[in-house]
Amino acid sequence: MLEIKRPSAVVSPHPAGTASRSGPTSPHGGEVNSPHPAGTASRSGPTSPHGGEVNRVRVLSLLVVDGQNTLTKVSGVIRRRGFHVRGISVGPSRQPGHSRITLQIDHGHAEADQVRKQLERLVEVVEVEDLTGDDVHNRELVVATVAASELDALLKRGAKVLSTGSDGTTVEFSGDADQVADFVNELARHGVVDVVRSGPVVMRKSE
Amino acid sequence: MILEALEREGVEYIFGYPGGANLPIYQHLHEHPKLKHILVRHEQGAAHMADGYARACGKPGVVFATSGPGALNLVTGLCTAYMDSVPMIAITGQVVSTQVGRDAFQESDVIGATSSVTKHSYLVTKIDQLPRVIHEAFHIATTGRPGPVLIDICKDVQQADAERVNTEYLEIPGYKLNGHVNLDGARQAAQALAGAERPVILAGHGVLLSHAERELMQLAEAAAAPVGTTLLGIGAFPVKHPLSLHMTGFMGTGWCLKAVQNADVLMMVGMRVDDRVTAKLSEFAPNVKTFIHVDIDESEMGKNVRPHIELVADARLALEAMVPQVTKVDAGRAKWLGQIDKWREEHPLRYKQSNGQLQPQDVLIDMYKRARSEAIIVADVGQNQIWAALWWNYDRPGLFINSGGSGTMGFALPAALGAKFGRPDLPVWCVAGEGGFVMTAQELSVAVEHQLDVKIVLLNNRSLGMVRQFQDDFYGGVRSQVDLTHMPDFVKLCEAYGLPAMRVDKFEDIAPSFDAAERTKGPFLIDFRIDPEANVYPIVPLGKGLGEFREAPEYA
Repeated sequence: MLEIKRPSAVVSPHPAGTASRSGPTSPHGGEVNSPHPAGTASRSGPTSPHGGEVNRVRVLSLLVVDGQNTLTKVSGVIRRRGFHVRGISVGPSRQPGHSRITLQIDHGHAEADQVRKQLERLVEVVEVEDLTGDDVHNRELVVATVAASELDALLKRGAKVLSTGSDGTTVEFSGDADQVADFVNELARHGVVDVVRSGPVVMRKSE
Repeated sequence: MILEALEREGVEYIFGYPGGANLPIYQHLHEHPKLKHILVRHEQGAAHMADGYARACGKPGVVFATSGPGALNLVTGLCTAYMDSVPMIAITGQVVSTQVGRDAFQESDVIGATSSVTKHSYLVTKIDQLPRVIHEAFHIATTGRPGPVLIDICKDVQQADAERVNTEYLEIPGYKLNGHVNLDGARQAAQALAGAERPVILAGHGVLLSHAERELMQLAEAAAAPVGTTLLGIGAFPVKHPLSLHMTGFMGTGWCLKAVQNADVLMMVGMRVDDRVTAKLSEFAPNVKTFIHVDIDESEMGKNVRPHIELVADARLALEAMVPQVTKVDAGRAKWLGQIDKWREEHPLRYKQSNGQLQPQDVLIDMYKRARSEAIIVADVGQNQIWAALWWNYDRPGLFINSGGSGTMGFALPAALGAKFGRPDLPVWCVAGEGGFVMTAQELSVAVEHQLDVKIVLLNNRSLGMVRQFQDDFYGGVRSQVDLTHMPDFVKLCEAYGLPAMRVDKFEDIAPSFDAAERTKGPFLIDFRIDPEANVYPIVPLGKGLGEFREAPEYA
C-alpha cells in the first residue's frame, strides 16, 4: 500500500512576514505549483496572469473503493470545485474491492493542493498520491487503423500489429504522453481510418 | 430492522413524512415506543427540524422521507446542514431495487441529487448491507467535521428480514479523521500569537462543535489577544468579555473589522474563512504577517487564505496544546488593546430610535433583558438574522442558531421547533422576517400539535428587507420585487392554525406583548410591524474590503 505523508500540522517554509507579500502574484487569482506562498489566495496567484507558462496540471493516483457511486462522487468534486480533467484512467487495483484511478487534472483557480485535499474528503477515496513532478512511468496506449500498407515508420517506433483487414492494418503503441503524441502525428501520414487513445496510467519509478 | 438500528444508535426523535416508498418502515413504528416520530407538514420542515434539534442538543437529527418528491424536498435542508457542519441522518425510501433505473413512480436519483450536499451517502439494495450502513452513517455524521449523511433504502430492503449483524466493528478505509495535534505547530502558533504586536483571534463554528470555549478563553487571556467570532461562532466567546470583538465579517462590528484590518497576526480557529468573513479577499487583513489556521478539515487550509502556520486538528485539542506554550506576551499589548477600546467607542453599534416607528433593535433588546443567557434564539435569514446576531450579548455557547453558510430562508420556524424538542428545558425564541416565515409557516401545525413552548418574534417590515437594503445601497436605489405588502394577517393566520398571536406596532407595546407571550404556555407569535426602512449596520459594500464598512448614520 502506498503511504501518504500527511502531517497534521505544516509550518510554512516561508519566514512569517515576508512570504505573503513577496510571493508570485496575479490579479486574476490562481496559484503556482507548490510550495505555496502564504497569504490570501489572490495574492498568491500564478506568475503569469495569462496562464501561459504556468503548469496547472496535477498528476494524482487514487485508490478508491469500488462502488456504484464512486466515479460520480469523484467527478462531482472535480466539477464542483472548478477543476478540469485532462486525462483519466480507471482500472482494478491489487487490493480486492478497490480500483486505481489515475487523474491528470487542472486545478483551475484553486490552490494546487486543493485537488488532493478535496478528493481526500470523499469517504470512497482511500488514498490520494500526488505524483506531480515526480520521477514516474507515465504510459498511454493508442490503437489505430491505418490505410497504408507500408508501416515501417510505425513499426520502427515500436508499434505492434494487432490485425489486418480490408480497410487497413490495426496497430497498437504505448509510450509516454510525448511519444504517443508523436506517434499520432506519424499516423496522419499513413491514412488514419480510426484511432483511439487511452488515458494515462502513472506509477512512481522504483528507486 | 431499520428502527432497531436507530434505537441502538440512541435516537429519540425522528422528523419525517411517510409515502409509498417508505411505508414498510412506518408500518413498524408503533412497535418502537422509544422512537418518537414527529409528523411534519413538508419534508423541508423535517430537515430543518432535525437540524435545529442537532444544533441545540448535539445529537444527530434524524429525518425520514419517501422517494422522489419527498426525498428531493430534503435537499435544501441537507444543504443547510452540510454548509454548517451539522450532524444529520436522512433515511429516504427508494423504489424497489428491481425498479431502480426504470423511471418508476416517484423514482428519482436521490443519491445523485444529494451527493454535493451530504458528507456521505448510501444506496442500500440488499438487506445484509443495512446494519453496517446505518452504523457507519452515524459514525460519519457525528465525527470529525460533522455533516449530513443520507441513506437511500429500496422498498424491498425495508421489508426484508435479516439476522442481527455485529456492528461493533467499523472499517471505513477511506474515512480519515484528523484529531492529532502537531505539538511543534501548536508551539509556533502560540508563540506567534503571544509575540505579536497586534494579534487577533477569530473563532468559528468549529470552536462550538468541539466544545473548545474554555480553551479559547484560556488562550485569549494568556496571550491577551482579542477574540472576534464568525456568525456561526457566536457564543464561542462571551460578547461582554473585555477581549471580545463581537462579530466579524462583512456585517461585523466596526471595532472588530478595524482590529482584523490592522492585525499583524491573525489566528482563525474552526472556520472556513468564506467570502462573508473576508469580504474582498485581496484586501482581507492586509497587515497580517502571520496567518494561523486551525481546522479539522485539511481542505480548508489554503482554500481561501493560505496560512503560514496550519494545524489540522480538533479545535479543542489544538487550543489546549497552545495554552501552556504562551510564555512571553509582547510588551506593546496594552497599546493594542487600548487602540481597540478606542475603536469600540468610535464605532459603536447604533440605530435610529426617534422616528416614531418600531425599531427591530428595541424588540431584541427587550427580549434579551428577559431571556438573559437562558434561552435559545433561532434566527431566519436576512436582516432579522444580523440584528439577532448583533443585538444580543451571547455569553454562553449554543444559544444562537441560524443558517450561516447556506443562508436558507424559512429555516427559523422548523429549526426552532426542532431545538425545542432537543432542549425542552430552555426557552426557545424564533426570530424571523415575514418573508422567510411564510416559506415554512405550515410547520405551525407541528408547534400546535405538540404544544411546543416556542415564542415566534416576527420582525415584519412588509418587504424583503436585506434585498431592499442591498438595492438601496448598492444597486442605485432601484427597488425590484421586494414589496411584501400582500401577506396574510398573521394574527388571523395563527388563529387558523390554533395558536395565540398579537400584533405590535408601537414601542410601548413591546414589553406587554412579551409579558403576554411569557404568560402563555405553548406557541405564541408576535407580529412586530417594524420600521420598513430599518437597515443593518455596519455593512461592507459588495465587492469592497472589510476596511470600507459603512456605519449607521448618526442620529440626533
